[in-house]
Amino acid sequence: MGIKGKAFLPPAGAIASAAILIAGLAACAELPRDPNGTTERVRRTHAIVLGEIAGAPPSRHAEQVLDRVAGRLGAHVRRVDGHGEDLLKRLEKGEVDLVYGHFAKASPWSRQVHFGTPLGRRRNVDKQEQVPRFAFRNGENGWIALVEGEIR
Amino acid sequence: MNRMPEQIRDDFARAKRLEWQTLFWMGTVVLAMFVTMGGSQAMRSALIEDALSLVPSLTFLIAARVEPRDPTEKYPFGFVRVNSLAFLVAAVALSAVGGFLMYESAMTLLMAEHPTVAPVEVFGHTVWLGWLMIAALAYSVVVPMILGRMKLPVAGRLRDKVLHTDALMQKADWQTGLAGMIGVLGIYFGYWWADSAAALFIAFSILRDGVTNMGTAAAELLDGAPRELGSSAISEEAKRLQGRLERLWPEGKVRLRESGRYIVGTVEGVDPPADPPKLEELMGDDPSWRLARLSFSPPETLRREDVG
Repeated sequence: MGIKGKAFLPPAGAIASAAILIAGLAACAELPRDPNGTTERVRRTHAIVLGEIAGAPPSRHAEQVLDRVAGRLGAHVRRVDGHGEDLLKRLEKGEVDLVYGHFAKASPWSRQVHFGTPLGRRRNVDKQEQVPRFAFRNGENGWIALVEGEIR
Repeated sequence: MNRMPEQIRDDFARAKRLEWQTLFWMGTVVLAMFVTMGGSQAMRSALIEDALSLVPSLTFLIAARVEPRDPTEKYPFGFVRVNSLAFLVAAVALSAVGGFLMYESAMTLLMAEHPTVAPVEVFGHTVWLGWLMIAALAYSVVVPMILGRMKLPVAGRLRDKVLHTDALMQKADWQTGLAGMIGVLGIYFGYWWADSAAALFIAFSILRDGVTNMGTAAAELLDGAPRELGSSAISEEAKRLQGRLERLWPEGKVRLRESGRYIVGTVEGVDPPADPPKLEELMGDDPSWRLARLSFSPPETLRREDVG
């Protein structure tokens, strides 16, 4: 019957060591790299290209986030107006770095682009609910992490 | 009534305990993977593989309940082959899922879809989800490796194919976990293709497991000769038994087949001896419980040799 005790112990030890390892890794980790180099380009050109959907100007909170991101990268925000679909298409192609708008997490666009966390005070919103948030180009994980870090 | 041979009852009970532990621990692995999944294709494939690895354990536990039962009117030969049937079902499921995942990852790779892994908030700290994925994957490597190593010797003593395959698959699970970690690290370093390439590798390993298992299950369904555990070679134990039987009845034709974990033998063209040797003596130094039955067919009762 000693078997049972032995079998249950090692995984518990494994969880602990994995947790320590990951905490260590995460502590010294930099942001992930963008496959299409958005963060690098913003740093180089000193410009964040923001898509603004006609009739929905960024909220005060969104503007503060943009200011902080711009400050960190030594850039300014260049605004491009357009309609929702047009801007998301340009985001997908990499012509725009960010799109601000009211989007639902369950939007049909959620496979083509990445929708960030809601910008309002409420964090738990329904998947169908359209709330102010930034949309990002898929896979630009460093850029997403940088902007999301300033939202929180 | 428990018809399990005396000699293997302890190991059988131990195998059942190990499989319950597998269900519990692999359940925690699947949960950890599910919680941290995110947008990685490799992680998704690894999660599905871990969820599938519950199937052999479940199969074993279900078969273990049915196998020791008494024969019935409808099943006059009992249920010793029930785990072969379950094994075939599991193998087919494994192959189908492996094939589907290969298609999916290949498409992701071809469409050049870039996986998004965003940061998440954990206890007030913002952490890149990729690190949590790697932690879950590391956990998913350790648990099956330990369980697999514990099950392997028991499976050998029980001559149990389901348990053996289960143990081998788990022992090899480090490859899946490692592939998943490489995929997520690839995302971290900006190589979007690393993720779907890792997913493709994992899917291939699922498919390979499935196809190998189908071959093993098919051998028994066709009344094949007893095989070594984990290979298609004829078992040494069976070859030794065949030799002994042929020495005792050189005029007859000796045929052995596998039925579940047991060997069934027939000596054909020979009248049943008045004083046949005990089955224990026929097995020599090999475990005697393996030979479940030996029958003799007199020459006049034989019509076709291709129907067993």
